[in-house]
Amino acid sequence: VSGASELRLRCPAQSRNVAPIRHALAAFLEALQFDRSLRDDVTTAAGEALANVVEHAYACSGERSGRDLTLLARVARGGKLCVDVSDRGSFLRRKPLPGRGFGLRIIRAIAGRMRIDTSRGTCVSMTFRTATRRSKS
Amino acid sequence: VNENFVKTIELGGELEISRKAEIREALQRSNEDRAVLVDLSEATYADSVALTELLRFCVEAQRDSVSVALLICTPQLARVVQYAGLAAAFQTFDDRNAALKYLSERVAR
Repeated sequence: VSGASELRLRCPAQSRNVAPIRHALAAFLEALQFDRSLRDDVTTAAGEALANVVEHAYACSGERSGRDLTLLARVARGGKLCVDVSDRGSFLRRKPLPGRGFGLRIIRAIAGRMRIDTSRGTCVSMTFRTATRRSKS
Repeated sequence: VNENFVKTIELGGELEISRKAEIREALQRSNEDRAVLVDLSEATYADSVALTELLRFCVEAQRDSVSVALLICTPQLARVVQYAGLAAAFQTFDDRNAALKYLSERVAR
């Protein structure tokens, strides 16, 4: 794994797949020598985006096939870490309910930047500052 | 610290979406319970689904005048509670005796 590496995973959008994807992302970040605190935060934010896909992306879809999710993690120019979580479902813009909606709040608290693109399915793009990356020795 | 009056619920490992039903099932109390310690000291991860279940449990307990304390010992859990903006919604402790002392004082009132 080098700084130019990327991690791309695609699987059915099922709750049992969320933890293995988080673990794979954590291993990828460890291989890239990011420190524990940043790894935990990035996988927490990604876990929220993944859980959102599982809970909401295909809730209104009658189609049984093609219900998948994709995670793409890469180090961009300037050393920023980018993680995209995407699906082919529909983005539901809901009125916030009391006691719900913590997922996006957590992502916003962790990621330096978050963008949601709903033009083709939904893609949550998160960018993280990586100042805490360990130096290689 | 007398623990007899406190019901303890232990939740460990990764508290996340695939365990939603298990978490909800674990977060149960009886009418006799006056205080509950939710022991998350062995939990290594919690997502918003788990936090939502914990919040629901705490709100319902508060409605029934039952005190709840969360024992959180891992940095990830402590941080995610802050990130979710729920620090004020939970009574959290990183020390078991401190949590039990808080609960005993609440019950004694």
